[in-house]
Parts: sequence; C-alpha cells; structure tokens
Amino acid sequence: MARKRAFIPPIERVRGGFTFNIGDDERQLVTRLLTELSQLLMGESDDPRLVRIFPPAYHLADDAEADAEYQRLMREELVASRLSGITTVNAALQSPDVASEETMIAFVQAINGLRLVLGTMLDVSEDQDSDDIDDADPLAGEHHLYNFLSWLLDWAVRALGEPISRPDT
Amino acid sequence: MASTPAPAHLDLPGIDDETVPDRPWIVLVWNDPINLMSYVTFVFQKVFGYSLEKATALMLDVHEKGRAVVSSGAREKAEIDVFRLHEHGLWATMQHDD
Repeated sequence: MARKRAFIPPIERVRGGFTFNIGDDERQLVTRLLTELSQLLMGESDDPRLVRIFPPAYHLADDAEADAEYQRLMREELVASRLSGITTVNAALQSPDVASEETMIAFVQAINGLRLVLGTMLDVSEDQDSDDIDDADPLAGEHHLYNFLSWLLDWAVRALGEPISRPDT
Repeated sequence: MASTPAPAHLDLPGIDDETVPDRPWIVLVWNDPINLMSYVTFVFQKVFGYSLEKATALMLDVHEKGRAVVSSGAREKAEIDVFRLHEHGLWATMQHDD
C-alpha cells in the first residue's frame, strides 16, 4: 500500500538527480520570468533594475580604473553565463526527466537572479516582513512573486544540501 | 581576465624597488537584504569548497558584521573569485589587504 505523504517539497533530491514537484502553471510562470530576465540582460546595460546583477568588483575610489576594466572585460562573460544558465533551466522545466546537479545549480543562480531584479525594483529591506503584503500596493503582485521565488530557492538549496541517498535505498 | 599592469619602473635613488610587487588581495562579501542566508552558505561551499561549518560561520559574519573576508591571494585569483561570486549574485568586491 502506498504511504501517504503529508507534504511534498517543491523540489527534492531523488535517485539520479532532482525533481520539480510543481504544477504546469508554476513551471510556465518561472519560464516566462526567466525569458523576461534574458531580454533584460540583452538590453540596455545601464538599466537600473540590473544594478545588483552587475555589482562593482573594485569598490575603493583608488580602484575606479581597475573596476572600469573589470566591467569592460567581465560583464559580457557574466551575461553569457546567466543566459546559458537560463536556457538550461527553461529546458529542464519543460522536461519530465530528472534534473542533474548541474541543472539545479543553474536553477538556484537563475532564480536568485530574478530575486535580485525584483528585490531591486521593490527596494526590499532586511527587516521587511515578507508575509505582510498590502494588496492595495501597486507592486503587490511583484511582492507575491518575490516571496514565491524565495520559497522555491530555499527548497532548491535545501535539496542540493541533502546527502545523496544510497543507491540501494 | 584583466592582467596586472606592469609596474612603472623608476630607478630613483633611495627607493627600494623590492617593495611589495604582489601585495595580496582580499575578497569581501557584503551584507544585502536580498540574498537568503541558506543560499549564501550554499554559494560559499560551492565556490570555495568550504565545509558547511566554515561556510555558515562566514555567512553569519556577513550577516552580523556587514561583511566578511571570504578569500585572499594574488590579484588574478581574487578576480576569478569575485567573478564567480557575481555569477551567483553575491555582492563581492576585492581590495588590497592593508
């Protein structure tokens, strides 16, 4: 007889990798958001929503020249790395197969990238209570999305940190 | 990857040209309100191969003190570390270790 499970985590480690236990609507939502993030990454590089995606490497005034050089050389690589991760994740979300560890790492990076953009737009602060969303707020939808992505990311990190179960179990 | 520019070599009398040709660099991660504590701990483990204990201690340092030194070394190594942390969305910078 099948055992009843009280709660199925949205992402869990299984034999051979990871599964997404989320519905089609949620898969499509994440895919749509990631596609928007790709477009944002390929657009204007000084878009204020991207400030947290491209932080300075050298922050001291003396190192301003070094930072300009870093941005010139590394920004394109950072964009390329993010775009390739998003492609991997979107393919995995549309596939019934078990996701590899590599894919899950791309997933946490991509979801966190979305949170960085949304968090910047929402100007989130450390002491904000994430459960306290005023639905009259014009950005209430973005707040809900941000919380959903935080929840998903937390479960993904948890799944990645779980020991791999023995192959004979 | 940016390479270290060759230092201008001035043979001025009285100047010790042996001084710090390669002062070490430190990589800092700064506290921010977006990155989750669990995620930051995971990134430290993955990028640097740190144990869960060490990664957690560093994450708490960032969280409580506002920043923590997460690695150090030559400029090229520090720049690679910063880049990898940026790939993961952490707020990382590098500077000379004074």
